[in-house]
Amino acid sequence: MVSRERVQGVLDRVRPFLQADGGDIELVTVIGNSADVRLTGMCAGCPSAHMTLHVGVEAAIREEIPEFETLRLA
Amino acid sequence: MTTPQISMESVVVGRSARMRAVFEFLRIIGNSDSTVLVTGESGTGKEVTATLIHQNSRRRHHPFVAVSCALFSETLIESELFGHERGAFTGAIKDRPGRFELAEGGTIFLDDIDDVPLSMQVKLLRVLQNRTIERLGGTRTVPVNVRVIAGSKRDLKQLVNEGKFREDLYYRLNVLPLTLPPLRERREDVPVLMDHFLGRYFKRRNEDVPAVSDAVRQAFIRYSWPGNVRELENACERIAQTCSCGTVRIGCMSASILFRAGSQPAEVAPPVTPASDTTAPISLDDRLREVEANLIGWALKVSGGNKSRAAELLQIKRSTLGDRINRCGLGAADKSDGQPAGAVQLA
Repeated sequence: MVSRERVQGVLDRVRPFLQADGGDIELVTVIGNSADVRLTGMCAGCPSAHMTLHVGVEAAIREEIPEFETLRLA
Repeated sequence: MTTPQISMESVVVGRSARMRAVFEFLRIIGNSDSTVLVTGESGTGKEVTATLIHQNSRRRHHPFVAVSCALFSETLIESELFGHERGAFTGAIKDRPGRFELAEGGTIFLDDIDDVPLSMQVKLLRVLQNRTIERLGGTRTVPVNVRVIAGSKRDLKQLVNEGKFREDLYYRLNVLPLTLPPLRERREDVPVLMDHFLGRYFKRRNEDVPAVSDAVRQAFIRYSWPGNVRELENACERIAQTCSCGTVRIGCMSASILFRAGSQPAEVAPPVTPASDTTAPISLDDRLREVEANLIGWALKVSGGNKSRAAELLQIKRSTLGDRINRCGLGAADKSDGQPAGAVQLA
């Protein structure tokens, strides 16, 4: 069971990077070892950005929380 | 074999002193017939360089034959390079000229020369010394007039020391040595190459190059490019294929480049040497502080924020590290993730 705080901690680290390009990411909910996030701002509607950020953010979370399972884009 | 037409003028050189030196050298050796040994990591442009040498030589109207020595098994490579006579081995149903004969009058590029087995090296040496070949299964000695350019991704001298490469062949090849620097050692060229390749791939789609966000440029400069120019070219192709909103933003990049930007110590450091044509003053103290901050950030990350361990990694005292962290203004950053302030890094 992954805590909301730990996931939020990783997202906070990731956030400045997205913000540098006019985007943002917000944590919607954590269920079990998975989390739902929402991309906002620039890139929010871009399918290729979803792919990049999904893969990248998920990898960043897994690196810090090895038991993390799935990141879902809400 | 067809080769793309490249002229000296059309090649993107970049601003780095090292690449300018490489191109100066290429100009000088253009009209020579001597053997060239091009050393460089994968993706640094060894074959482009070989093509360029050929096309700027007096052999340009003759063939340019490129062959990767890594592609063939030990037995096949001999038949590939020197050809064979009918009946030389099972399946040799007709005479077949080798690559050396196909390159007659022109240039042969022997890429991955470091992968040539020792037994074959002695045969190559004979060709280079005598300028004659014998087809496999043949008795006739055929003179060849071919300029040899060899490509190696490893330092051949090192392989000689390890006993994996014949010293005599090394000296035979190392007449005009040329070393292509990896992209991470000439970061100042990244923006130039980036604009060049984005231009190429958007043009292929009949589109103008859109604006590129600063965040993307920064990530490109920070990334270590282990696949060198080839990887950068592919990254630009990807952007041209995926960008649909009119501005190239971080979302258009592949996650690996974005999230691995600057994950190694030496590679976090910004280029220390300014371009040779820069006349603007540069503060040595500021530059040194930047390098220091980057290395401390790296040590803190690797040590998981443990300052004693970080001090060991940097071979300085624990107390000295504390002082330097404060001096670099890293105090706040190292509490969170050990990154220097402003170093964007995710994974």
